[in-house]
Amino acid sequence: MDVILAASECDPVAEIICVPANVNELFELPFIGGVNRTMLLMGLAALIAVALLWFGLRRRPLVPTKFEAAIEGIVLYIRDEVALGIIGPKDGIRFFPYLLALFMFILIGNLFEIAPAINFPITSRIGLPAFLALLTWVIFVFMGFKRQGAAYVGHILWPPGVPTGLKPLVGIIEFVSTFLVRPFSLAVRLFANLVAGHVMLTLLLVSGYVFVSSVGDIGAKALVGVGWFALGLGIYVFELLVAVLQAYIFTLLSAVYIQTSVHPEH
Amino acid sequence: MLTTLTTDMVLAVAEGEEPSGVDLLLPATSELIAGIIAFAIVFFVVWKFAGPAINLTLEKRQAAIKGQIEAAETEKAEAAALLDDYKTQLAGARGDAARIIDEAKQAGENVRNDIIAKANAEAEGIIGKARTEADTEKARALQDARSDMANLSLDLAEKVVRNSIDRDAQRSLVEAYLADLDRMSN
Repeated sequence: MDVILAASECDPVAEIICVPANVNELFELPFIGGVNRTMLLMGLAALIAVALLWFGLRRRPLVPTKFEAAIEGIVLYIRDEVALGIIGPKDGIRFFPYLLALFMFILIGNLFEIAPAINFPITSRIGLPAFLALLTWVIFVFMGFKRQGAAYVGHILWPPGVPTGLKPLVGIIEFVSTFLVRPFSLAVRLFANLVAGHVMLTLLLVSGYVFVSSVGDIGAKALVGVGWFALGLGIYVFELLVAVLQAYIFTLLSAVYIQTSVHPEH
Repeated sequence: MLTTLTTDMVLAVAEGEEPSGVDLLLPATSELIAGIIAFAIVFFVVWKFAGPAINLTLEKRQAAIKGQIEAAETEKAEAAALLDDYKTQLAGARGDAARIIDEAKQAGENVRNDIIAKANAEAEGIIGKARTEADTEKARALQDARSDMANLSLDLAEKVVRNSIDRDAQRSLVEAYLADLDRMSN
């Protein structure tokens, strides 16, 4: 509501697009007793993820209902295709809980972007993607040292199978790529996608609202608002795809990174 | 538009209400903690509940399907055994039937032969007896006829040549005649 009020205060005749006084208003929402909306929504996302898993799996049915089959489908997809399929049958099952928690939490967090009355993806705050990416980083670096010892860094800095002349160059690139770019890109990919989606939706829907509600002042020009509103609804569908895809990519890449540490030969 | 946005942002930062410097890049601590706790909850539930639950579900389903397949195989084997049994019984029954029919035929044949043999024997007996009786009758009749013939001839001759002929002489004459007759008939 703050966002809409802030935009309503501007003069739509003088400005083509009304911007809030501060762009951070789109992402930072008021605190209520030390808990801001983002923190509340993180709790809600955890609650929804837990509830979905609980109600989807607690009955352990022989013949699942549609809802149970859907939850089982997600869980089994992450288990069989991502955890076991990428990391391998022996090690994959150990990382399956982490990957499933990652996918469920990010998915719900992303879907908040287009959830009615919420309209705010918690993954568009850098804190959450950064934490999750760091967690993946810690896990795959730890597994690399645990499985390969010092050879883990050795193989990255002096990669086998590369012409000797190129080894220093490739080694440096690999080192930077593995230890610095991986967590950064993992976090920023998720964060930036959701930020972009959220800004786009907010701009289109708020502008649509402002234009249509200013019909008394600007007359026929208010129809532009209808166009923006329609475009915003189109973006909604697109953002649904983005939400699912980004959750999947984050989980998939985490699995791939863990796999490279657990099985260096691949 | 871009100018406006940038200006606003710069102004906002300059106002001092917003984080500045490296704080702009760092996540808000409170949100970071909330995120960590929220994710930890999800992870804990997945780790302690969802993972085992999906395993148990799959095991249960696997066991059920395996059990059903095994039951079906058992039933199939039973049905096959039953079918074999029936086939054997049917073949046995057919053999029995054929044997019974053969035996019956044989028995019938035996009875028929017996009857025929008995009938033949009886017929032969009857014929033999009849022949004997006929022979006896014939001999007796011949004897009777001879005796009657002699008497009749005598009576006749007596009537024809009453008193004129010596009876004894006549009689020997007749007997000589009859002896000739016998010789002729034999």
